[in-house]
Amino acid sequence: MMFAFRSYRSSVQVILLLASLMAGSVFAQDYSSMGITALVEAADGMLRQGNYSGAIPALKEVIARTLELNTTPGRKTLQSSRFQLARALFQTGDSPAGMKVIEQYLDAEPRAQAQERLALRMMAQGYMEAEKWEKVAEFSGRLLETPNLDKENLLSANLLYGQALFRQEKWKECIKPLAYTAKNSKDEKIRHLCQTMSARALVESKQWTRLFRLVRSIYRTDAKYDITLNITLMQAGKTLFEGAAEKELEEGKDDLLNALFLYRMVLPREDLIGYANQRMAGIQAELDKKTKIGIKEMEAADLKNEIATIRESVAILSDLPPYEDEVTFRIGQIYAEVKRYWEGYVLFDSLYEKDRNSEIGEASILQSVLVLYDVKESALAEERILRYLDEKPNGVYVCTLLSMMMRDNLTRENYGGVTQLRPYVDQATQSADGEEQQIKANLRYMLAFGYFLKREYAPAGDQFTIIIDQYPESLSREDSIYFRGMAYMMQANYQNAMTDFLLYQEQGEHGEHYASAMFREGVCLFGMEQIPESEAALTKFIDTFPDNVLVSEAYSIRGDIEAAKDGNDNPETPDVNEYDPHTLDRALSDYRKAIDTSDVPLQAAYAAFQAAKVYKLEYKWQEIIDLMNYYMNLLGEKADVAQAVFWIGQSQIELGQVEEAVSAYLDAIERFGNDASQEGIDKIVIGLIEIADRYLSEVDKQGLVVQINIKLTSITPGADVLKLRLLVTKARLEGEEAAAALGDELIASKQALSTTTPISLSLMCDAAVMAGDTVQMGELYDYFVANFEESGQLWHAYRARMVQLLAEEAYAGVILTIGEAQDLFGVEDYMGWAQITKADTLYKMGDYEESEKAYNTIMGVPEWRGGLYAEAYIGMARCRLATQDFETAHSFYQRTYLLFKGYDDGKWAADGYLGAADCLVRLGRNADAVKTLDEMLEDEYVNTLPQTDTARELKKKYGDA
Amino acid sequence: MNKTILNSTIAGVLLMGSLVHAAPLPAELVMGKDRSWKGKIIRRDGDWIEFRSGTSTKPIRIGVSTIKELNFEVKINTDRIAVLVENREFERVIDALTKTLKPFAEYNDIPSNLSRYTAVLMEIYYLTKQYDKSLEISEKIAEDDRNLELQTKARVYRTLALIDSGKSDEAKALLSTYGWDKETSADAPPEELYIKAKLMMLNGEYRKAMGVAAKVIVFHSQDLDWIQPAEMLCAEIYTELGMYDSADEVCRQILVLYENTPEFDQAKLLKVRIEKLRADQKVEDSLKSNEA
Repeated sequence: MMFAFRSYRSSVQVILLLASLMAGSVFAQDYSSMGITALVEAADGMLRQGNYSGAIPALKEVIARTLELNTTPGRKTLQSSRFQLARALFQTGDSPAGMKVIEQYLDAEPRAQAQERLALRMMAQGYMEAEKWEKVAEFSGRLLETPNLDKENLLSANLLYGQALFRQEKWKECIKPLAYTAKNSKDEKIRHLCQTMSARALVESKQWTRLFRLVRSIYRTDAKYDITLNITLMQAGKTLFEGAAEKELEEGKDDLLNALFLYRMVLPREDLIGYANQRMAGIQAELDKKTKIGIKEMEAADLKNEIATIRESVAILSDLPPYEDEVTFRIGQIYAEVKRYWEGYVLFDSLYEKDRNSEIGEASILQSVLVLYDVKESALAEERILRYLDEKPNGVYVCTLLSMMMRDNLTRENYGGVTQLRPYVDQATQSADGEEQQIKANLRYMLAFGYFLKREYAPAGDQFTIIIDQYPESLSREDSIYFRGMAYMMQANYQNAMTDFLLYQEQGEHGEHYASAMFREGVCLFGMEQIPESEAALTKFIDTFPDNVLVSEAYSIRGDIEAAKDGNDNPETPDVNEYDPHTLDRALSDYRKAIDTSDVPLQAAYAAFQAAKVYKLEYKWQEIIDLMNYYMNLLGEKADVAQAVFWIGQSQIELGQVEEAVSAYLDAIERFGNDASQEGIDKIVIGLIEIADRYLSEVDKQGLVVQINIKLTSITPGADVLKLRLLVTKARLEGEEAAAALGDELIASKQALSTTTPISLSLMCDAAVMAGDTVQMGELYDYFVANFEESGQLWHAYRARMVQLLAEEAYAGVILTIGEAQDLFGVEDYMGWAQITKADTLYKMGDYEESEKAYNTIMGVPEWRGGLYAEAYIGMARCRLATQDFETAHSFYQRTYLLFKGYDDGKWAADGYLGAADCLVRLGRNADAVKTLDEMLEDEYVNTLPQTDTARELKKKYGDA
Repeated sequence: MNKTILNSTIAGVLLMGSLVHAAPLPAELVMGKDRSWKGKIIRRDGDWIEFRSGTSTKPIRIGVSTIKELNFEVKINTDRIAVLVENREFERVIDALTKTLKPFAEYNDIPSNLSRYTAVLMEIYYLTKQYDKSLEISEKIAEDDRNLELQTKARVYRTLALIDSGKSDEAKALLSTYGWDKETSADAPPEELYIKAKLMMLNGEYRKAMGVAAKVIVFHSQDLDWIQPAEMLCAEIYTELGMYDSADEVCRQILVLYENTPEFDQAKLLKVRIEKLRADQKVEDSLKSNEA
């Protein structure tokens, strides 16, 4: 690269031309015989004629004669002649001799101001051509110090001085003269050159703010395409970027930022080369045009030189290895580093999209994903990861990206997002690359945890097995043994689980899960019903790790074991006295310890309520009250207060303290009722209603309603959950009609779901079903399941969902929903609707065999005895009818009216009569059919029902026949 | 110095050669098929103008609707304007340009070479939040297709003025009219990306807005007209996203890079706002931890 430019509008020749204009004329003569004045005139004349070599001897003669003169005119002549001699020597090509004479001129006095300035310029210029930069600086500096310097000399001097300092790498010093020239020069080329040099000097002197200001002004002009400038910025950026990591945080950050600003200004190579080619073509065209009309040699040389300089820059640029992507990548890294995440992401993404197969492209996908996770754009990150995994199953970053995605999903508790990656993990872990064993084992480990946390214990166990078997050196192997044991345990495979827990313990006591493994051993033994062994193992655990977080649970299980002992003598061993009257005491003692050692509220709650059950067995009601109070005092706000109060209320009822129980319940409702998450309050509401129904007189019940009304009128504004709970309590105390009316009202007013709890939601579900409002049914189901999945009232939601699906004729969905409801609530008395609807739906689906089986199942559930039985018989009959098995159908109809006459006011019996008659007609037994219809009309259970009209018509029809 | 006198002085500085014109106005009249005449516009008479060509002594009447373009002889020192704009002496520029262009005001409805100067006014009115005035100009230039670059600029400022004056629905409609409502590609012009990001931000689509604004920063970092406002927009969006460290960082960079610019001032204000938001967040966090 070339960083030199001759002085403003001048070369030595130009300067000499100027100088010649200032000189007088002289003729070549026999100098020895000439007087000094004539000699001077002769030299002057030759100079004016351009006879420089001729003038030299004359001038030398004048100098020789005046050298010793001390008079002012003599010294003037001497100095003037020296100046002219130097000029002549330059013109004849003897620059060294010329410069020597100029130096003598400048060292002596007097010096005419104009001549002196030209002399200084000549010296500076002469030394510049010889690349003696210190001398250039010396003479141009002297020129600058000359008073009252004219504009042209000022520009030239600054240009020479700035360049000289620049070439000496005096970065700070060169900036001022270069800036002056860049600002004042009319020559665009000189301006650009000075700006470029200034930029380099500012980079080298680390004057970043000034540099950025300069660069901003440069980038408003075509100077931004200067190749040298771009390379300067890029190299400076690189130096800063690479040095940043080694510096202190703040300084390193500043360097990164400065690198960023520099990199940002670097233009793509193709833009620079494009502009350079355009520029060269323009200069060439100018040269050609001027050559045709005649151009001065010097100007032509300048233009050619300019083209050569640009060509040289292009060559340098072309020889550089590709830098655009690297620069882009580094900019992206800096953006990410300084927390400008989105800018970093956009850059990395563009690099990846540009070339997904290059090294930098692959590195970019990794960086872009890292940034996306930084800004919590998991969905976008996953989209990119999955595309990469699909496109490059053997890519460099497969394991890393998989690991990132799995970890993120585990953190977000989106375990499905982890397990869906199994095919990729299988693919990525195929090769047995030694170095990546640990990474692959980690992938398996995360996958196993994904399954485990998703409660898919079998595949979780499989993954732990792979780690144990295939990655023996893995750091996760020991933990995998423990967690495989956990996976087995959760599948109730206690034998295998225990094997793993024992194996884990054999690895040594250092293991993180050693204590847990010992505890789980006891749990497994309990699961395998090896009760004494389990008790021993749990005791061992309690004794070994009295402070372990699981010790509370160990006490609870041991308490359960003790409570389960019957305490009786074994009649098969009459000689041994096994009678133990203290089992319940020991159980209670363990539960109490479990409460005391609990680490989380659930541990204490379990023990407390188990203990309450034990006390209940012994009718120790006061003890229950005491224990619940102890539990609430110990746990404070973390106690399940609602449940505890419920137990207290139950105990008070047993102690005959009905008023206290009611009061305790009301108090609990009022205190905790505005918190929708306190589900125990709903249980208390139900308990309160039961107490009212069983123990309170109508008057007292009304009194209770009044109390609730008073609470409703004085309720704190905004306590909407409590208000709704009280409204439901009141309605249910007033009876089923009032409750149903409240349900209707809540549906009609579109009660805000955030204020609801299971007791109100159940009313609303039922009301939606009654109103046939399928939209509400769906919304209520979704909200109920999402917020109160443990509620005992949830079946109302399932029933609403089922009715909704029935209305939509989505029968498969109906069966599925019923299946889920039955899994949760089994064959409780209130669940008959599920089984009968299942059977009805199977019938609608044309699966008569399964439908009949489903109806038949109802017969096996004593809780459903009654109308449901009759309805099931009718259903079975219809199934047979559909398969044209009229005999069996008749038999089912017949049993219905014979066995279930009284149910549902004779409705089923009436249907049975009509169905039976229909079957007989189909069998061609019209007379028997008429006989059946006669029986129906005489049967006092049914003969007042509307179905008798049908019976009479049929009788008329078939009787006449 | 008296302000009026000062402004007159500035106007004098900006005008080179020809000063404020009293009619007649020297101009080139361009008609259909690019036929043109040099001469003077004598006066306007409703839908007609009186024009006297250079050689003629008698003016002729020409229907305004038949004129393709008027090229007035007006010399304005654009370099000086650029310096004043750079120094943010907007009122001086507005005053000078308004005075200079005043004699030509009655010909505003005819396409002319004055658009490039009114475009400067349009931009400065926008920068000084005089959106109605900016819109008045941009609406005209945006419909003028003689100079595509100027037209695009007018469309951009028209949309921006609508957005910033709270008429985002109209701005959206314009985006559609101009075909800027399509998916943004990497090579989309910076002004289009900037406007989209700004609209998205107004709609509360902060993440989407950030993705688009970031494209201006990374793909158009050498575009000195749009990089500065885009940097500021990024800082604002980061703030809205609650990413205060990122917002602070962008502000820091603006303060280093863009001294003496509107963005410099805005960044200083935003930094104060960020500090306040951080303090609020601290209080909130401490309340939460107390509650927990």
